[in-house]
Amino acid sequence: MNEELDSQLSAMFDNELPAAECELLARRLSRDADLKARWGRYAVVGAVIRAERGVALDGTMAGRVSAALSTEPALSLDPAQASRRGSGLSWWQPLAGAGLAAGVAVVSILWLRSQALPGGSHVAVPVLVATRTATFASPSAQGPLQTASATITPDSFVVPPVQQRPMMVVPATELADYVVAHSAFSWPVSRGNLLSSLMVSEPGTSSTPAESEQPVPRVQGNATQNPK
Amino acid sequence: MSADASDLSLVRRVQRGDKGAFDALVLKYQHKLVKLVMRYVRNPAEAEDIAQEAFIKAYRALPQFRGDSAFYTWLYRIAINTAKNAVVSRDRSPIEYNVDRSSTDNDESYDMQGRMKDSETPEGLVLTDEIRSTVNAAIDALPEDLRTAIVLRELEGLSYEEIAAAMGCPVGTVRSRIFRAREAIDRRLREVFEGGLGRTEELG
Repeated sequence: MNEELDSQLSAMFDNELPAAECELLARRLSRDADLKARWGRYAVVGAVIRAERGVALDGTMAGRVSAALSTEPALSLDPAQASRRGSGLSWWQPLAGAGLAAGVAVVSILWLRSQALPGGSHVAVPVLVATRTATFASPSAQGPLQTASATITPDSFVVPPVQQRPMMVVPATELADYVVAHSAFSWPVSRGNLLSSLMVSEPGTSSTPAESEQPVPRVQGNATQNPK
Repeated sequence: MSADASDLSLVRRVQRGDKGAFDALVLKYQHKLVKLVMRYVRNPAEAEDIAQEAFIKAYRALPQFRGDSAFYTWLYRIAINTAKNAVVSRDRSPIEYNVDRSSTDNDESYDMQGRMKDSETPEGLVLTDEIRSTVNAAIDALPEDLRTAIVLRELEGLSYEEIAAAMGCPVGTVRSRIFRAREAIDRRLREVFEGGLGRTEELG
């Protein structure tokens, strides 16, 4: 037998052969019965040196395993699949992560809103009052928004009396920012619904002047009088 | 050089459907695995059965092996779990040795633990003893530098680089010494295997 080949086999047995040479030798080893027998005897030598008492050295177990596996179907994992497994990422993992993030965002918003609206649909917190006051003071917003102000009950513009339960103050603008910041991880349809729902339920709290100039259709439709 | 390149190259071949490569892995690790399992069970025949089952489980699980850890580490974990399960299972259903053999032909537990392994037969024991004495005699006959190299490798588990540092020689020399030591031992061992007692089974 080729001495160089045997030298490679010995080094491969010790995991000391370069990977490129291992590929070629592994192919030959799996097919060459003589080489495989020599490989098996190398293992026997190691077992004897380590004085592995009680361990049978006749190599019959390898034969039994081989016989047991002869009825098993051969594996068919192609190299590309193996490397994908090695990367540890599956196609569904990014989607699952995005879905989880969107779910957390929705739950957080619902919880925050429930904290901000303890008594019902009226938003009555100081921050909102200040925002509305500033909006009303703006010359550009006098028309439609003043119309809207006439239809809103005065209770919604005053600070309510101190309640037993401490109330969390969540400025609507921050809430909107939160939704926008997390919208990258949410499904576009649900993101749109969430944002539009937020804007409709919080009229006049938009942070951008252009939006604040747009009348809320529902409120405008109910306008009965103009202060001017 | 990857420390596990050799095993990994064989594993990848098995994953692509080359069963012959798995034979090489079994041949390489069968003794170590049996020795490991014997920490959990004292009976060598039972240890062999558990090791064999561990190899079969490993083969079936190979599609899930990603190579994040060394193959032998992964294989040892399977063997340990198999051994622990076997011990639990045995404790739950102790073997009755005074059974009528004819009434237990289909009893798997009897078949697994009651039968005598080939290695436990007088012929198997003689062969194991002869292998052991032949290898030991061959090692004793080795030149000092070859014997030191092979013992440091097999007994101490040192890498070629560590052996080179210990022996004060290049890594290439270590590789050559270990190879020549193995060849010298193998020449005598082959006579045992190929003689009247040799019963190595054809694999692949």
